[in-house]
Amino acid sequence: MIEIKNITKIYKKGTAEFTALENVSFNIEKGDYVAVTGASGAGKSTLLNTIGGLIHPDSGEILYNGSDIYKQASRHTDEYRKKHIGFMFQQFHLMPYLTVLDNIKLACYEKHQLDSVDHYLEKCSLTGLKNKYPSELSVGEKQRTAFIRAIISNPDILLADEPTGNLDPGNSSILLSLVEDFHQNGGTVVLVSHDPLTAKYANRKIVLERGKIG
Amino acid sequence: MNPLKLVTKELLYRRISSIIILFTVVVASTVTVAIYTLSKASENETRKIMREQGLNLYIFPKGTNLIDFYSINNTGTFPDNYVDVLAESKTFDAVRHLTGILQIKYPDWKDSNGSTHQIVLFGYKDEAQQKYLPAQELMGFDVKKGTVQIGSLVAKNIKPDAPFIIDGTDGKQYSFKVGKRLEEGRGMMDQGVSFNLEELQQVLGMQGKINKIEALGCVCKDGRIRNARKQVQAIFSDLEVTEISSIADARENQRVMMNKYGAFIIPFIIISCLLITGLLFYQNVNVRSREIGLLKAMGNSSYTILFMILFKAFILGLAGGIIGFFLGSWVAEYFGKEIFMFTALSIKPVWSIFYYTIVIFPVLWMLSSWIPALLATRIDTAKILSQE
Repeated sequence: MIEIKNITKIYKKGTAEFTALENVSFNIEKGDYVAVTGASGAGKSTLLNTIGGLIHPDSGEILYNGSDIYKQASRHTDEYRKKHIGFMFQQFHLMPYLTVLDNIKLACYEKHQLDSVDHYLEKCSLTGLKNKYPSELSVGEKQRTAFIRAIISNPDILLADEPTGNLDPGNSSILLSLVEDFHQNGGTVVLVSHDPLTAKYANRKIVLERGKIG
Repeated sequence: MNPLKLVTKELLYRRISSIIILFTVVVASTVTVAIYTLSKASENETRKIMREQGLNLYIFPKGTNLIDFYSINNTGTFPDNYVDVLAESKTFDAVRHLTGILQIKYPDWKDSNGSTHQIVLFGYKDEAQQKYLPAQELMGFDVKKGTVQIGSLVAKNIKPDAPFIIDGTDGKQYSFKVGKRLEEGRGMMDQGVSFNLEELQQVLGMQGKINKIEALGCVCKDGRIRNARKQVQAIFSDLEVTEISSIADARENQRVMMNKYGAFIIPFIIISCLLITGLLFYQNVNVRSREIGLLKAMGNSSYTILFMILFKAFILGLAGGIIGFFLGSWVAEYFGKEIFMFTALSIKPVWSIFYYTIVIFPVLWMLSSWIPALLATRIDTAKILSQE
């Protein structure tokens, strides 16, 4: 489904250079659950954002169903993110002025996607909180809201960047089982974490070391 | 979710910032509308005063001794069709309400008792409407044929309902119905009798002749009298122009001064408010960088982001413009009543600028948010969303 071919990304600041990714190549097939682990600064988030169409690599290709997402017009990259990618971040990034329900609806680009909102709210134990604002939620509830927002449009791939980074063990476990549930129902997951334990559900593990697959 | 709904929710959530931006529009709009309305009121006031005090420019034959002119000694004449020529001229726009007049001293008018008095006769040609200028209301100096208007001192010597009788130079006696008895306090007119020009010309045997044109000088940027002189003499080199100084001049100076200050204050306030708004939008974009980053991560295009920020500026610009229009009109009305006594009641909202207000302010405020909006589209989504 996604081919990552010889991706290299170098960050430059003045004369200093930092190689975040160096000739990284691997494939993601439909139904994969890929865990990308590695130490801080190993290039995990850069890799995830590159797959998600947010960071243009210096060289290499990201092929989605055979076409390079970075060789298309920006509107096609926007479309790729909208229809095929679901993002989850460590910081949740919920809109503070929208309720749980509205935060989730934000990601629905087709009407029928609204039909499954109640189902996911129920599944994530958020039904009673759907009219609450993020400031009224616990961190676990916030991340579960962010999870529903990421998958509500039924994306091909869920890209999760340290999704348990801010959660206690109990909430981490709940969230990971929800992600696993998404995977079990045919979803493709790429999860980035510096914590090897988080990767326990993954069927493939990629360890990054200084921008290279170890 | 509909981007408009998102903008509205964000606008209400960040109330303080939204209110400050709204306030800047309201201030700019209020000041603009108030100054414009007061300037219009001042212009109306000037016109009103000029109309109240009468025509303020005299056009008469070149070389006329002004001592004779003001003391109503008979002065030189010129053809009355000069008025029509001036009215037909495309280049003659510094003067309005052209009224050709024959003003003649009549030393031996006999009243019904047989007593002789010196009176002044005024013959008024119908006021000429300038062909190439927009039509204006007549100033009311036309006298109907067969009638006369008599000054208060003359009226004392004519019984009510009695006609005005005068001997013509042709030896005939002419009788006119008294159309109007003028109130006292009109200076020279108190001892005068106003005729339709043709009839006075017949009485005096001066067919086709007048000795002055009274007119109303324009509200000219580069000086009423200078402009009028230049234009009149370009057409008739044998005429010259003089002006009666008036309180209208003071009003006119006030209006020019107000326009001058307005030309400085309005842009100054608008630019200041736009700069404040620009900074507030910049701050807003910084505060919302993660929200904007998230929207981009969810596949919203740069155009959608741009639209959302510009739309917010549009809403605030529109709301502020409308509020400012009514507030500015109220301010103008409140203070205008103190300043402009003659036209106080006519100071009303100038609806023609309402339409400009609801277009200009939203557009200006969208422009002020343009750079912050562009910066928003260039937010490094990956970097901003990965920050802890």
